Amino acid sequence: MTAWAQDLRAIAPEIALAAMGSLIVLLDAFAPSTRRWFATLSLAAIAASLYLLLRAPLGATFAGRLDTSELTRAVGLFLGATAAIAILVAKPYLARTGEEKGEFYALLLWGHLGVSLMTRGLDLLTVFIGLETLSLCFYVLAAFFRGIEASSEAGLKYFLTGALGSAFTVYGIVFLFGKSGSVKISSLAQPGLAGDPLVILALLLLLVGFGFKMSLAPFHGWAPDVYQGMPTPAVAYLSVAPKGASLLVLYRVLTAVFQEGMPDRFRAGVAALAILSMTLGNVVALAQRDVKRLLAYSGIAHMGYVTIALAVFGADSLAAVIVYFFAYLVSNAGAFAAVAALYRDETKPHPIGLLAGEGRRSPFPAAVFALCLFSLAGIPATAGFIGKFFVFKAAIERGLYALAVIGVLNSLISIGYYLKVVYLMYMRETVEPEGPAPMAIADRLALSLCAAGILVLGIFPAALWDLARRAAQTLPFTSP
Amino acid sequence: MSELFADHLLSLVVFVPAAGAALLLFFPESQAKAAKMFALAVSVVEFALSVPLWTRFGVAASGFQFSERMAWIPSLGISYSVGIDGISLVLILLTTLLTPVSLLFSVTHVEKSVRAFSIAFLMLETGMIGSLAALDLALFYVFWEVMLVPMYFIIGIWGGARRIYAAMKFFLFTMAGSLLMFLAILYLAVRHRASTGAWSFLLADLTRLDLPSSTQALLFFAFALAFAIKVPVFPLHTWLPDAHTEAPTAGSIILAGVLLKLGVYGYLRFALPLFPDAAARYAPWVGVLGVIGVIYGAMVAYAQKDMKRLVAYSSVSHLGLVVVGIGAFTATALSGAILQMINHGLSTGALFLLVGVLYERRHTREISAYGGIAGVVPVTTALFVIATLSSIGLPGLNGFVGEFLILVGTWTSPHRWWSVAAATGVILSAVYMLSLVQRIFWNPLTHEENRAIPEIRKSELLAASVLVVLMIWIGVRPNDVLSRLGPSVEAVRQSVTQKRIQAGGGRGQAPSLRYEGRPRASAEVTR
Repeated sequence: MTAWAQDLRAIAPEIALAAMGSLIVLLDAFAPSTRRWFATLSLAAIAASLYLLLRAPLGATFAGRLDTSELTRAVGLFLGATAAIAILVAKPYLARTGEEKGEFYALLLWGHLGVSLMTRGLDLLTVFIGLETLSLCFYVLAAFFRGIEASSEAGLKYFLTGALGSAFTVYGIVFLFGKSGSVKISSLAQPGLAGDPLVILALLLLLVGFGFKMSLAPFHGWAPDVYQGMPTPAVAYLSVAPKGASLLVLYRVLTAVFQEGMPDRFRAGVAALAILSMTLGNVVALAQRDVKRLLAYSGIAHMGYVTIALAVFGADSLAAVIVYFFAYLVSNAGAFAAVAALYRDETKPHPIGLLAGEGRRSPFPAAVFALCLFSLAGIPATAGFIGKFFVFKAAIERGLYALAVIGVLNSLISIGYYLKVVYLMYMRETVEPEGPAPMAIADRLALSLCAAGILVLGIFPAALWDLARRAAQTLPFTSP
Repeated sequence: MSELFADHLLSLVVFVPAAGAALLLFFPESQAKAAKMFALAVSVVEFALSVPLWTRFGVAASGFQFSERMAWIPSLGISYSVGIDGISLVLILLTTLLTPVSLLFSVTHVEKSVRAFSIAFLMLETGMIGSLAALDLALFYVFWEVMLVPMYFIIGIWGGARRIYAAMKFFLFTMAGSLLMFLAILYLAVRHRASTGAWSFLLADLTRLDLPSSTQALLFFAFALAFAIKVPVFPLHTWLPDAHTEAPTAGSIILAGVLLKLGVYGYLRFALPLFPDAAARYAPWVGVLGVIGVIYGAMVAYAQKDMKRLVAYSSVSHLGLVVVGIGAFTATALSGAILQMINHGLSTGALFLLVGVLYERRHTREISAYGGIAGVVPVTTALFVIATLSSIGLPGLNGFVGEFLILVGTWTSPHRWWSVAAATGVILSAVYMLSLVQRIFWNPLTHEENRAIPEIRKSELLAASVLVVLMIWIGVRPNDVLSRLGPSVEAVRQSVTQKRIQAGGGRGQAPSLRYEGRPRASAEVTR
């Protein structure tokens, strides 16, 4: 096969996404009657893209710029599943809000393309283009409800902070380019580079830039406001997939630079971010009255937990990150799916008080929501516990006991607000006279998939762990 | 077929309730009666399944029986590994007995979301039995935490006026204890991997680790904290009165009957053999906290105006006595402590049940709202008196045997004065319990509405009678239980002392003699 054909096969997953997004926009303009098929078409595109990704031959293409490996396959599975759940939630959600427009699906697919490129990029420019594609699509999605002030506010806030974050990222890339003479990540693996202060500065800039995307404290400020104003299905995607992709990019770059293992001072900095993010996220979440803001702060805390694994640094801890994100996907996307199903009026805020009594009035979404919250809290026999199990195991293996202890104490704090929501749903009488709108099949499907995912990963995690370990070995870790 | 049954009997006992709970999901919400009856039937079948564990149990053999092992996360050496010795056996039977008793009581008294209640109860049963059977620390931790969620709902949905506060407190306290234990378990596994090159979470493998004594002390604290909160040992007991008082009757029965015992069980099964040096060094503290619990619990119980709270504080006192027995560590005291856990499960279970019977009729737990009702409800009175006598250790009933063994066993240990101090608690328990009986059933009948209290129902009577029969049975034939405990208790003692001897005693500075007690005297009593 010629190199050209190789390249084409490697990029085919992204082409499928781009083509379907464009098709949907055209159909929306010229054949509005096809709108009710958009969700199905998008799901088909996600499935096709995943299929093409799994079928693409392993190895680097585009002259070493695009990666196809066990790692990108595992991550592709994670991203595809997130997108599929977001689309399933989106269909009935958009129908309820009367905004069933093609651009939602198109933007989601293009954004998904960007995330996919981020995780597959082997040079920093590809990664950055992916990052910007993602960001542009989601700036628009954040402001999707044009008539609602909160949504416009979300769009603007996300745009401004996102642009700042991108600036940090570009700065970091520029310094790395200046020092290594190439934008390729592999060329960062030069002797002596790891000790260079400018390189360390560049890495810190990247940490800040991608920290913005991960909503890692102290770069988290945008998340609660954006989640609040953004359509819930888009939040289900934004709160999971780009965060995983960002952490993976950081892992790729750091692995290349730190051939001899992560220097202790750098590790201390990463650990400080982890501690700050966990503690701030959990403590502030305790005070939240809006369910989307509460989940935003919960997400900030979770990025803190998973950053512990970045501080640990090594093949097993990257595997722990992968497992963690699969667990976070089913729990967090499931939680947002339940929020979409449990609230009646999308144009208003989502106070948790309105959930009172839903345990009996809407037993199915409430039960799944409770399961998701227990999973986020890390109760055993759920996926969330498995994620934390591997992260804390990695920390203890590396001897980072303090981080592990702070991590579990934070889990204890988090129980305070997760249980508050459970308590409202099951131990209070209803306050809202009208219940949520009847559930569509797509809603039920999304919730069932997440619930099944939480229990299956929680009870039989061996297969996922093995997949993650094989994936993690793709990166050239020298330390054990 | 029968071989398959025999090989997987223990797993069957662990998972039948969970399977029942899963089936209940398919019951329509409106079929409340059917859901209740189905849950009750499952728990009765479960009890029937656990009986062969008792009859087929090799009495003379030490070590674990009905063992099963299956890989779970092979690359980390985590396995589904279960097995029981005499200690877990009697506690499993207590669980499978108290669950149908609680559900039988609830048949007439739980009206709200019956299906969810039944599911929670059966999931709880799987969690409890799983914790008692697990021999892999990761598996144990999963079952241990899984118990929390259904209990949280049982207290929070079907509980009394302050149920939400109580449920939250219960969850946070218990979780706080177990999270550090979780890290300690991970640390042990990592150490095992570092020293042998292979991952394992099996108790048998991890006990072979050679840990320096400072590390042992830290890990021991992490484990002991989790178990002490569960028991609860003074001063970690504050969640218990709230949880017991606010839980629905069935929840209180299980909470007092089984959940608290898991703390003691965990200490015996895991903390002692894993960290023998640390356990030996801190055993005096354990005993002293037990003694404080005995006396403090009794005194606070006497001051209560709410009868359920009184019984709750009596649990603090009784569990304190069990902890004294564990701290003394002679074979007699250990056997007595384990027997006393069973006794406490039966007598306090019965007391909570009968308090529930009164509450369901008068809708108040204030002791002063009663008085002089012995003539109105003679059967309830008789049952209550028997349960009280069992609880305060009247010879001929079960409570006496357990208390006596603990006190004698502690007397033969180096800590004689514990025995003396704990004995005062036994006297105090007679004071508060008899005064409770006096104030509820005798005294003049001052409240007119009490004349019309209906007598105990058949289903409630059946539930209570089962417990009373067992109280008498153990009171008369304690050896049926003790004979099954003997070898296992000896094995626990051996696992601790031998490991300390093998290590040459050089690792810890703890006085190793203290732990041996006086085997001669103890052997006679346990016979």
